[in-house]
Amino acid sequence: MAKIIISILLLAGSFFILIASIGLIRLKDLYSRLHAATKAPSFGIFLILIGVSVYFNTPMVYIKSLFVVAFIYLTAPLAAHAILKSFREEDKDKPEKKQ
Amino acid sequence: MEYDISIGVLIVSFSFLLAALVLAFIRLLKGPSINDRVAAMDVIAVVVMAFIVVYSVLIDNDIYLDLPVIISLISFIGTVAVSTYLKHRHG
Repeated sequence: MAKIIISILLLAGSFFILIASIGLIRLKDLYSRLHAATKAPSFGIFLILIGVSVYFNTPMVYIKSLFVVAFIYLTAPLAAHAILKSFREEDKDKPEKKQ
Repeated sequence: MEYDISIGVLIVSFSFLLAALVLAFIRLLKGPSINDRVAAMDVIAVVVMAFIVVYSVLIDNDIYLDLPVIISLISFIGTVAVSTYLKHRHG
């Protein structure tokens, strides 16, 4: 039973990361690309780490997985915010250059 | 440790991650702006972390699980550094 749960978690996590990458290459502008590139990989690696924690089932692995999930969920919105803020600085300059 | 995951599940998972890596690398190559390339680098870091974690299931050993902690911190620092450089470039 645990084997089936681990398999489903690993496959679902990989699938979510694949979805994020497809969204990164299919969407039109940087705003929607960052929408795809921020949320889906966090959820995918969350699922994969749950599966691996159930697989190994030792306290050290649970602590390391908790660290990784906490870092990812803390830093992914900050990284997206920084990228978009630097993009908007250039975006504000563009209409003045065109005139 | 006591469960053996079938090799087909791991191969399908690796192939999903490899396809994700290739697509993110295409966006890294042809991104119109530098910000797109930084976003692609962020996704590539997550894909590499997932590779390491699934590989540790494949070899049935948990010594490699330190690496995703380090990669998550380093990738965040790199993203913020490049974004700050881009923001202050014009000013």
